[in-house]
Amino acid sequence: MASKMKESDPILEVENLFASTDNLPILKGVSLTVYPGEIHAIMGRNGCGKSTLSKIIAGHPSYNITNGDIKFSGANINSLEPEERAQSGIFLGFQYPIEIPGVSNLEFLRVSTNARRKFLNKEELDTFDFEELVKEKLELVKMDHAFLTRSVNQGFSGGEKKRNEILQMALLEPKIAILDETDSGLDIDALRIVASGIKKISNAQTGIILITHYQRLLDEIEPNYVHVMADGQIIKTGGSDLALELEKKGYEWTDNFVKET
Amino acid sequence: MEIIEKIKNNKLIDNQTEIQKICLHKLQSSPLPNPKSELWRLSNKSKFSDFLDYSINEKDPKFDIPYPKNSQSTIRLIIGESYQIKIIEENYSIQQLSEDELDKHIKEQISYFDQNENWSDLLNLSLSCTKNILGLKINGSKIPPIEIFSHASSNSLNAKTLVIFLEKNCDIDLLQVNLGEENSSLSQSTFFCLEENSSVNHGVVSYGENRSNLLNSLNVIQQKNSEYNLGSLHFKFNFARFEIRIKQSAGNAKTNIKSMQITKKDEQISTYTKIDFNGPNGFLDQLNKSLADDKSHAIFEGSIIVPKIAQKTDASQLSRNLLLSNLAQIDTKPQLEIIADDVKCKHGATISQLNEEELFYMRTRGITLPEASKLQLSSYFQEIISFIPVSKDRWDLLDKLLNEK
Ligand SMILES: Nc1ncnc2c1ncn2[C@@H]1O[C@H](COP(=O)(O)OP(=O)(O)OP(=O)(O)O)[C@@H](O)[C@H]1O
Ligand SMILES: [Mg+2]
Repeated sequence: MASKMKESDPILEVENLFASTDNLPILKGVSLTVYPGEIHAIMGRNGCGKSTLSKIIAGHPSYNITNGDIKFSGANINSLEPEERAQSGIFLGFQYPIEIPGVSNLEFLRVSTNARRKFLNKEELDTFDFEELVKEKLELVKMDHAFLTRSVNQGFSGGEKKRNEILQMALLEPKIAILDETDSGLDIDALRIVASGIKKISNAQTGIILITHYQRLLDEIEPNYVHVMADGQIIKTGGSDLALELEKKGYEWTDNFVKET
Repeated sequence: MEIIEKIKNNKLIDNQTEIQKICLHKLQSSPLPNPKSELWRLSNKSKFSDFLDYSINEKDPKFDIPYPKNSQSTIRLIIGESYQIKIIEENYSIQQLSEDELDKHIKEQISYFDQNENWSDLLNLSLSCTKNILGLKINGSKIPPIEIFSHASSNSLNAKTLVIFLEKNCDIDLLQVNLGEENSSLSQSTFFCLEENSSVNHGVVSYGENRSNLLNSLNVIQQKNSEYNLGSLHFKFNFARFEIRIKQSAGNAKTNIKSMQITKKDEQISTYTKIDFNGPNGFLDQLNKSLADDKSHAIFEGSIIVPKIAQKTDASQLSRNLLLSNLAQIDTKPQLEIIADDVKCKHGATISQLNEEELFYMRTRGITLPEASKLQLSSYFQEIISFIPVSKDRWDLLDKLLNEK
C-alpha cells in the first residue's frame, strides 16, 4: 500500500477510543484517521464492535467514552449532541434504519435538510423548493415519489430502507459518511444504485467509511484502506487487497490475534 | 334528578315546545346515563357533573367569531341568532326548514332513540329552545362552503341543535365549529340526513377555553349512493364527548371518518362512534387519533355493526394513539359486531411514544429533541387536518392554538 501525501488536515480522527455500555466494555482502543477524499472500509466478525464504533461517532447516548478522543475537522466532539454532529456534517447510514410510524418521510427529510442547511448558512427550503430538490435526489436512488408520503421507513422493504438512507445522505451532503452495512440485503441492481449514490457524494473534500461484510460493494467502490476489527480494536489495516484476502481466509486468524495481544 | 329540576325550573318553562316536553318526559324515567354502560363507564363522574353544573342559558350575548372568513362567498351562520335563511340561486338553494318540517323530523328521530345511547340528544332537545335550533334544507350544486358556529358563553349551560337535509344529488363542504368560553358547557346535537347521491365534506372543529365542557352528538342517516366524509378535531376541554352515530339506511353508501382528539393537563376527551350498516355494499374507512399529554385522558370507542342484510360490506377502522407523558392515559376499543358472512372488516389499535432509538435516528439527521416531537405531532395532525374543509390561514390560527402550552 502506497502511503499518500497528506496535504490537508484529517476530517475524522479517532484516537485510542475505549467505550462501554452499562459497564460492559465494547470498544477497546480504536484508532482511525480519515483524510479528505479517502474511502475506508471496516470489516470484521459479527459482534466485534463495528456498529458500536459508528454509533459512538454519531453520538449515541447509550455509550460512554471511557478513554480517548473523537475529533472532527480538528475539534474534539466527544461531548457534542448527535444533532450537532449531524448538522456539522457527520452522517451515519444505519445498519438497521429505524421506522418512525406517524412521521411523514417528506417532512422528516425536509426538517433534517434544513437543519444542515442552516448550519451551512444556506437558505432554508419551504415545501415547494424542497420538493424540487428531493425530486432530483430521488432520481439518484431510483425511488418512487410515493415513498415520501409514507411514514419514515415504515413498511419499507430492507432494500428500500437502505436506499432511503442514501437519499438522506445525498440531501445532507455530509463531510463524512459512515455507512454501516448499507450493502447488506440489497439485490444486484439496488447495490449498483447505492454504490453510484455513494460515488456521487464522494469527492476530494469528503471522507467515507464503509462498514461491510462483502467484497461486492468494494468491487464497485474501491477503498483506499481496509481495516479489520476484532474484539473492539482495529487489528490490521491494509489496501483493497486485504478485503480479498479476508474473503479467502475468513476471520478465524483474528481470534488468535486477539488472544496474543 | 337535579338536571330535571333544573330544566323544569328554567324560567321559560311556559313556552316549552312539544319536543322539549317529550324529551323531558323521557329523561324523567332515567335522568342520567347509566354509568355502568359501555358508553359511559369511562367518563369521569366529577367532570360530567361539572358539565351539568351551570345554569341554563337560552340567550346569547353578542358573539364575535374569532377568525376571518374563509372567502367572500362562504356562508356563515351562528346558531342562536335569529335569521330567516332563504338563499335561492341559479344552481342551488339553502332554506330554513319550516317549523312543521323540523318538528316532524325531530320527532321521527326521537322515535328511534335509545334512552342511554341517545342520552346526550335527549338532554339537548329538552334544553334547546326554538331559537337555538337551526334547520336547513340544501339543494343543488356548486354551493359555496358553509360554516356553522355554536357557542357556549361563560358560566352557563347552552344547548344548540342543527338539522340538515341534503337533497338528492347535492354536494357541500360544511364546517361546523363549536366554541366553549371559559367555564361553560355546550350541548350540541346535529342531525344530518343525506339523500340519494348526495355528498358532504363535513368538518367539525371543537375547542374550548379554560374549564369548558362539551357534549357533542352527531347523528347521520345516509341514503343509497351518498358519501359522507367527516374530519373532526376536538381539543381544549375540561370534559368533552363526541358521539357519532351513522346509519347507512340501505347500505350502498360510503363513509370516511378521520377524527382526532388532543388532551392536555387534566382534560378528558372521548369519541364514541357507532356505524350501522343497514344494507349491502357499504363502505367505511375510519381513523381515530388520540394524543394525550400531562395527566389527561383520551378515549376512543368505535363500534361497527354489520347485520345479515349487510353483505359485501367493506369496513376498516383504525385507532392510532400517542402518549406524550407517562401520566397520561388513553383507552381505545375498536369493536366489530358482524353477523353477515361475506364482508371485509379490519380493525386495529396502536399506542406509541417516540422511543430512544427513534429519537437517536432523528437526531443523527440534525433534528433536535423539541423539533423531533414537533415533527411527530405535526405529522400526526396532518392526516386529519387535510381532511377538514378549512382554508390555510384558518389553520394557521388553529395551529397556534394547538401549539399553546
Ligand atoms: N447497547 C448495548 N447493550 C449491550 N450490548 C451491546 C450494546 N451495543 C452493543 N453491544 C454488544 O457489543 C458487541 C458489538 O456490537 P456491534 O453491534 O457493534 O457489532 P458489529 O460489529 O456491528 O456486528 P455485526 O457485524 O453483526 O453488525 C456485541 O457483542 C453487542 O452485543
Ligand atoms: Mg453492525
